[in-house]
Amino acid sequence: MSVSSEKNVQKSFTLPKSDFDQFFTLLAQMGTVYAAVKVSEQSFAFRAVTSAKQIAFDAIRTILPPKKFFYPPSETLITYDKDGIYENEPELEFKVIFGVHPCDLAGLGIMDKIFSSGHADSHYMRQREASFVIGHSCMPDKHCFCQSMGSDCAKSGYDIFLTDIDSDYFIEALTPAGDQFIALAQPILAGATDKDHERNHHFWETRSAAFTNGFNSSNLKVTMEGEWDNKLWDELGERCLSCGSCTPVCPTCYCFDLVDIASLNNDSGSRKREWDSCQFTGFAKVNGDFNFRPTPVDRLKFWYRHKLHGFDDAYADKTCVGCGRCTVSCPSGIDDIVAVVKALQVSSAAKTSEGADA
Amino acid sequence: MSVAKVLPTISVEGLTGCAGELLVILENLDHLLPYVRIKSFPFAQSRNEDGPVDITFVEGSVSQNHDLEKLTKIRANSRWLVAVGNCATTGCLQKASCQQCSAKSMMQAVYGNDSTMSVLPAQPLEHYVKVDVSLPGCPINATQFLAVTASLLREQLPYITSKPVCLECKMKENPCVLIEKNAPCLGPITAAGCGALCPSVGAACYGCWGVCDEPQIEAMKIILTEKGYDVDEVYSRLKAFGAPEHLFERMNKKAN
Ligand code: SF4
Ligand code: SF4
Ligand code: SF4
Ligand code: SF4
Repeated sequence: MSVSSEKNVQKSFTLPKSDFDQFFTLLAQMGTVYAAVKVSEQSFAFRAVTSAKQIAFDAIRTILPPKKFFYPPSETLITYDKDGIYENEPELEFKVIFGVHPCDLAGLGIMDKIFSSGHADSHYMRQREASFVIGHSCMPDKHCFCQSMGSDCAKSGYDIFLTDIDSDYFIEALTPAGDQFIALAQPILAGATDKDHERNHHFWETRSAAFTNGFNSSNLKVTMEGEWDNKLWDELGERCLSCGSCTPVCPTCYCFDLVDIASLNNDSGSRKREWDSCQFTGFAKVNGDFNFRPTPVDRLKFWYRHKLHGFDDAYADKTCVGCGRCTVSCPSGIDDIVAVVKALQVSSAAKTSEGADA
Repeated sequence: MSVAKVLPTISVEGLTGCAGELLVILENLDHLLPYVRIKSFPFAQSRNEDGPVDITFVEGSVSQNHDLEKLTKIRANSRWLVAVGNCATTGCLQKASCQQCSAKSMMQAVYGNDSTMSVLPAQPLEHYVKVDVSLPGCPINATQFLAVTASLLREQLPYITSKPVCLECKMKENPCVLIEKNAPCLGPITAAGCGALCPSVGAACYGCWGVCDEPQIEAMKIILTEKGYDVDEVYSRLKAFGAPEHLFERMNKKAN
């Protein structure tokens, strides 16, 4: 399925790539532009950019997903003194986030749901509202498996979306803010023709066929439950460093720790939240030194379960969007979700056929 | 009756160490001075007092008889005793060296046969006395030092996490040197607190903060061996920064 298989003439435009500098200038008028830039031989990161030249258009994945803009690694939530408690509301910087791929847009959708349901998280929501998100098409590499997780086509989470159709961008607006921007950019845009729609369609067809990584995801919960004691988990557990690198890089991992920092004179202080990881030994430790998940295997299985079919929480569904970040960020090479799921599926299928034979 | 506010008192003392923690404390003294009175800090001032004190920060390991005498006196006088730095919390380099050869032969090699110095095999403070708070680091992190002090001034034990360096490294969005450069990074098993200093400049973490909570040394061994590293070299580094011996026993047992 493509982002725009339905034709919507008013909402689709094209921009010649040769005019991208002008387009960038318009984006920069809204706020600070953040885009993927190359930070090392193999890695990219979303950083503030001041010119289109700095952008790594071919970056597949950044080290941290765009969640870092709305749910920063460390932030002060409240401050307090003798007279009261104050919600910390630092000055907002309007952020224009350029080049977010479908997997990350799906990730933002999940985070939006989690942080807005029930008692909404005002810190996240404030930052989220002060942003303009520009989705961007991509071609999968060998670690991408968004297609298996159903997050390969952006349905929401962006204001406008750019599909790379060779010499042009095919541009669609989704939100009122997106429409407004399009109106502003009108002088450099052309209305999409039937031919442009065809080119867009062709891109997404080609891209759908380009996936080399993935699995059948229809039976993930049954497989996970049936294979809970598979010895594969022990093999993975032996290699797990409990380093927690897999969770900060995940677009949908949201767990944090709260730390109170008192001032030296004991009449004021602040409360910070910082990213935490379920892979740390202390994460599920409670009073009396009891640990609900004492070994790396327990913690790893817990994480896989949350990613592949979810908990009974605000987002009772799978939370993996198939971006492949955990796979490339695990120093031990055990977060190859695709390989693990396939191995479990093989074992599960073998059991079923044994059962049928008996 | 006097209405002047009586400030809590602190002392800062050094045993056998490099004075690195004393320097960190000295550099941050201006933050503390409005709220505490310095009773004794021989490294920084010449007029020092004996007697009861609210908090004493002690740097260094117990490596000489007079260290032990000093420590015993400090403990008796202090309401809170805080071990600062890896020498005080784990014995660090001195203890690691003493495990490789005897303290006596080392002393002879360095000071000759005629030295009147009396040495002990180096030990962390808690080998001899009760330590209320252990603050690791080589040297300690100033923010953690101030946070510990703030907690104790409120009569509360501080919360010091020992999550691994990888967390701080990822929070800073550093490329991983263990993965990208195959550098022997010990971040996964080293306690955070330094702000992932070494990986942030592209170097491998060498474990100076001491091990994290329940370090997965077995897994670290597998990964470093696969990358072609000599694990003995890694162990000696871990031991140098105070990793307890039982971790290696556990691992060797598993390997056999
Ligand atoms: S996982 Fe899918 S959406 Fe994400 S970068 Fe890869 S191909 Fe694009
Ligand atoms: S579990 Fe891994 S592949 Fe899935 S969304 Fe998280 S980081 Fe991406
Ligand atoms: S699965 Fe990999 S990245 Fe995650 S904690 Fe274990 S070793 Fe670290
Ligand atoms: S560079 Fe070292 S500390 Fe940073 S994530 Fe990699 S292993 Fe962990």
